[in-house]
Amino acid sequence: MRTSPQIIMKWITAGVTTGALALALGLGLSSASWTSERLPALAVLAVLAIAATNLKTPMRSGLTADSSIMIQIASLVVFRERGLLVGPVVVGLCTGIDAEHLRAREFMKVIFNCSAGTLSSGAAAGIYWAVKTPGHQSVATYVVATGLASFVYLFVSTLLVSFPVSIFSQESYATVFALIMRMSRGAYPFAFLGLGLGWVYLVLSVGVVPLVVVPLLIARSAFASYLDVQAAQDQTIETLIHALEAKDKYTAGHAQRVAKFAAYVGSELALGPGRMERLRYAALMHDIGKLIVPNQLLNKPGKLTEAEFARVRRHESVSVALLGRIDFLAPVAPHTTSEAASHAVESGGLVEPGIVMVADAFDAMTSTRAYRKALTQETAFDELRKGVGRQFRADCVEALIGALEKRGERYGDGHETDVHEFAVAPPEVGVGSAGLGDLAEEHATS
Amino acid sequence: MSRWVRVLGLLAAGGIVGLGAEVAHPGTRWTALALLGGAVAAGELVELRPSSRAALPMSFAFVVVLAYRSTITEALLVMTPALIGAALLRRDADRLIPRLSILAERSVELAASILCYHSVYESFHDQRTRASVLIALSAAAVAPIVVSDLIGLALRRKATWGVAGRAADLAIVTSAVLMAVADRGVTGNGMGLWGPAVFTIPVLGAWYSYDRLAETRRTYDQTLRALAAAPELGGMVRDGHAERVADLSVAIGAALGMTAEELAHLEAAALLHHLGEVCLDEPEDGGALDAAAVAEAGAAILRSTTLLAPAGDVVSSEAALSLRPASAGDAAARSGQILKVANVFDELCEGILERAGLALEALNSAPGYLYNREVLVALESVLDGRALLGSMM
Repeated sequence: MRTSPQIIMKWITAGVTTGALALALGLGLSSASWTSERLPALAVLAVLAIAATNLKTPMRSGLTADSSIMIQIASLVVFRERGLLVGPVVVGLCTGIDAEHLRAREFMKVIFNCSAGTLSSGAAAGIYWAVKTPGHQSVATYVVATGLASFVYLFVSTLLVSFPVSIFSQESYATVFALIMRMSRGAYPFAFLGLGLGWVYLVLSVGVVPLVVVPLLIARSAFASYLDVQAAQDQTIETLIHALEAKDKYTAGHAQRVAKFAAYVGSELALGPGRMERLRYAALMHDIGKLIVPNQLLNKPGKLTEAEFARVRRHESVSVALLGRIDFLAPVAPHTTSEAASHAVESGGLVEPGIVMVADAFDAMTSTRAYRKALTQETAFDELRKGVGRQFRADCVEALIGALEKRGERYGDGHETDVHEFAVAPPEVGVGSAGLGDLAEEHATS
Repeated sequence: MSRWVRVLGLLAAGGIVGLGAEVAHPGTRWTALALLGGAVAAGELVELRPSSRAALPMSFAFVVVLAYRSTITEALLVMTPALIGAALLRRDADRLIPRLSILAERSVELAASILCYHSVYESFHDQRTRASVLIALSAAAVAPIVVSDLIGLALRRKATWGVAGRAADLAIVTSAVLMAVADRGVTGNGMGLWGPAVFTIPVLGAWYSYDRLAETRRTYDQTLRALAAAPELGGMVRDGHAERVADLSVAIGAALGMTAEELAHLEAAALLHHLGEVCLDEPEDGGALDAAAVAEAGAAILRSTTLLAPAGDVVSSEAALSLRPASAGDAAARSGQILKVANVFDELCEGILERAGLALEALNSAPGYLYNREVLVALESVLDGRALLGSMM
């Protein structure tokens, strides 16, 4: 019988809490230097630690970031003598007090986080005082001690927090640990800010608090506004996608899938975050020009007439015109037509349109359309490879195939998630095997 | 040359001069002053750009550290080449006169900070206490902002008086004080230049957030307008119709005292009120699409997203054939009436502004149940304000 995650978590919490209690007991026996004069500083830093934990900043990834490490490091600077270890440890404990967990009566989470905070801060204090020995030290020594203490704090904290995350997400412990450590990199600037905060606290006492908090809150508020506008932008694009889907029921989910495949390729080709963002928007909006194509033509089973074909092809130039109106996408806009992308295959140039072209063609081939049923993934891979050097960039094609094989994902005939009901069943193969690009070729030879 | 290359170049220039000073006279104070000069120059190119106010350079913060560390003469000697260096590398002014104008303004603003610190500190008879230092530093941090506002007033630039628009100022002022105290402490127990370096982090955070916000807002606005232009490029609507209707609707809404949020929904609705046109099948007889069906199709798409749903309600309300009395709390109905008037007005004008008077006359003479009188009065006032009614008078 398998032990439930909740039971495992209870045991882990008990272990971590025992460790924290042992540390607290040790402190009780050795905190000879602690006097009541230190209490105001401890109270201020404890309140700041709770505030920092609860004032989380939502990130684009959907995760949140907080600045509690800043207060943790500040406490090491303020309680700078070895006998004052109780200060940083209490502050560490306070970083686990999350109002959201308390409101939801998730007391075990609170106990776990408080214990993890206590142990992490104890470890950080140990390394900090090992580097910054008593007596006069240069500021550079403080900087080095802060860097090492932050690393140890984040390392121990990640070591402990990875247990519940791994258990409940059912991801391997190593994967979760590596992911959280990678995400923790953003905490280092806050750690050095904590060094400054602690230092200036010793000069100005509690008066330093508003001076530090105000710019941080302003930055946080501007960042939150940015995320709001970003959400509005995403919803505007969602509106576009809904409009396209209202025109052509066969394209449901097409834009999102193209964006997903494009992201796979972009990540294989190691594009930076800025270019990945541009790639995502370009992929989501690549069909914007189809808004002007009459529904009857988009949904027509079988071949198009000469005039109809010209009307459908016009969507490419409209896409270029519309994307060109968005500064962020303007550099890729002129290359999004099949003609321009084919030219770019020969001449090199921007890779983003090439990625979108490959992702678009792959999704078109592996989805059922009004004019053709979905092809198998293998056929689609063959078609993509056949088009290399003429229609598609080799690096993009191989990156997509590699990414899908690596992930073990399958699309196309037999793997479609959408169920289609046909008034007139489309042919198994035929025109448009690779979307509009092949329609052009079919048209030219007919 | 990218902005960060220029910023790093200016910091490096300060570093090289500082290194030269150190080699010539080991332990000289000019080493730190040269580094601060580099920071002032670099801070000229890193500006906080909140949407509601003019750009605010980070040099406003670094100059306070400079003032705290040096005499007036030393500070001015460092500031001048720093500002000249930054002016040479500016991108927002590519001609000599604008560059000189910015240089002159900034020289006055930063000099005001330096002079302010020293005169306030001297007024405490040079007694270095926590209070005297904090007051003098705060005065020095506020001074360039006040002088900048005064210059703006003198040059009749748009002023920012709202508290919300002053958040970036507050970030610069508080960070400037922190940087200076962290640098030298109050009685000499400071961190040196590590202090300003560390307290640059929150300002850089604010700069990054404002920068992303401005860029994303621009992209959002352009995306909305690109979507609005689709029916026009498809030949379904006259060129520029959505933009003109949006512009007029927002002006009427503002004249009627609508809130910023209501105006934002109204603008989105006005831009996208023809979106339904592209979703419906073309009539087989080649005739025009039914306006109500177009509005409802567009509204349905807008309502499928949370943030644009209120705009969908406005579009749906605009399509109502007869005038529905809008209660005080029914913003969508009121916005719909505005959109209806702006839309019909633009169709009557056919994009020709000289027809504004005739179009208004036609709207005024329509049956009373079609258009809201209050909206028509606001329209007249907007057109009058834009001097578009000359032909009617």
